[in-house]
Amino acid sequence: MCEEEILRLFPERIRGRWQEVAAQAEKLQEIRLRAGTPLTILVDGRERFVDSGGRIVDRQEAAARQESAELEEILKHLCQYSIYAFADEIRQGFLTVQGGHRVGLAGQALLDSENHIVNLKYIRYLNIRIAHQVKGAADPLIPMLYERGRVVSTLLISPPGGGKTTMLRDIIRQISNGTAYGRGINVSVVDERSEIAGSFLGIAQNDVGIRTDVLDGCPKAEGMMRLIRAMSPQALAVDELGGVEDMQALRAANGCGCRLLATIHGGSLEEVTHKNYMRDVMEEGLFERYVVLDRAAGAWGIEGVYDREGKPCLRR
Amino acid sequence: MFKAIGIICILIGCVGWGNMRIRQERERIRHLQTMQRILERIKTEIAYGKHTLPEICLLLTEINDTSYQNCFRRIYEASVEGGSGLPALWKTEFQAFFKGQPIREEEREVFAGLPDRLGFQEETGQAENIGQAEAFFSRRGRQAEESCENRTKMIRSVSILTGLLLTIWLL
Repeated sequence: MCEEEILRLFPERIRGRWQEVAAQAEKLQEIRLRAGTPLTILVDGRERFVDSGGRIVDRQEAAARQESAELEEILKHLCQYSIYAFADEIRQGFLTVQGGHRVGLAGQALLDSENHIVNLKYIRYLNIRIAHQVKGAADPLIPMLYERGRVVSTLLISPPGGGKTTMLRDIIRQISNGTAYGRGINVSVVDERSEIAGSFLGIAQNDVGIRTDVLDGCPKAEGMMRLIRAMSPQALAVDELGGVEDMQALRAANGCGCRLLATIHGGSLEEVTHKNYMRDVMEEGLFERYVVLDRAAGAWGIEGVYDREGKPCLRR
Repeated sequence: MFKAIGIICILIGCVGWGNMRIRQERERIRHLQTMQRILERIKTEIAYGKHTLPEICLLLTEINDTSYQNCFRRIYEASVEGGSGLPALWKTEFQAFFKGQPIREEEREVFAGLPDRLGFQEETGQAENIGQAEAFFSRRGRQAEESCENRTKMIRSVSILTGLLLTIWLL
């Protein structure tokens, strides 16, 4: 990812201020913009601030404060001045922009009579999470994801910002292209939030392999069923499992002989086991590998790899 | 002999001027109809395709008008590949394009100022707002077409008459 891509996140008028931040593109993880508060960035796991001249500083007192009007301008720019096209994403509280970067949104929620969020207004908080394609991030994992030349169903576990999506993307790329442990296979990806492939106009912007089909912007449960019927994949990949519907779709995919590659939020294997909707899936042995990621201190780390019974195959 | 040649030249010149004015009027109608078609397409792409404006610009590079095609291609390239803000690009591109075109000031402003109509959080509302601009061009196009026939006759008569008067005066 280059400097230019970070700068393009901002309207031309204010790009000058983000030059120094953009120069840190490879280590940059987050840009947090909150109305009336200091401009904050997360670089290599460390919180830093940006002053009015665009310099990166350590003291929050020296940082420039974010103006509300400018925040709105940034949001419009991120939405390519077509906010209507991102209405569903805004309702869900995030949007994915070109390059697969995810922008979290918060403001005032508008509710319907059944207390469902119908829209967000006064969006005053943006969290721009910078997507990184790290080719080779999955190298240490790949030998453990094959058994007798076939890919095993794998669940990646880590807290938010732990590198799950980056790892999943590289696993997809490698098993799609083929590795020393197995031939390349057809992989279908349900990219609900456009984070894995970073599709733009339907074309994957990230390298997800030569045998990969991407269904972009589709809810996971529906997308999985659709892809099984339409693309006959040998492996199916989804990001951030999170509900009973997703689990039912996973069971259906598994029943069709598809290998599953998925991620879920969690600090450890035990934590995931305590999620109601996961318990049954784990008992059924849907996943043959559980990979717990730990990105402490900015390192791309594998905390542990476990088999379907939860016994460690590898532990750091 | 020279007088006869002079008379013919004057008459040809006046009729030519008249034809040029008629052509300008027809050109204006063509522009109005093209702009209406463009806005109708934008409205449809927003309402049914939920496409973003840069994506719509890319789709509009397929319209059957080379000069507009080129404008949309430049806007798309600068906004998507260059990352520039679309409203400013749209305004600059169309203000430059409309220079020297037989389009009235108000019509230029409505089309070049289209990005000012953006900002709706919902596609139907956004499409309806674009629809207002479309209705404006549809109305203008209809009015221009209705008056074109009469104006054509008038301009043609005036140009011939001017030629004759000029000839008589010079003789």
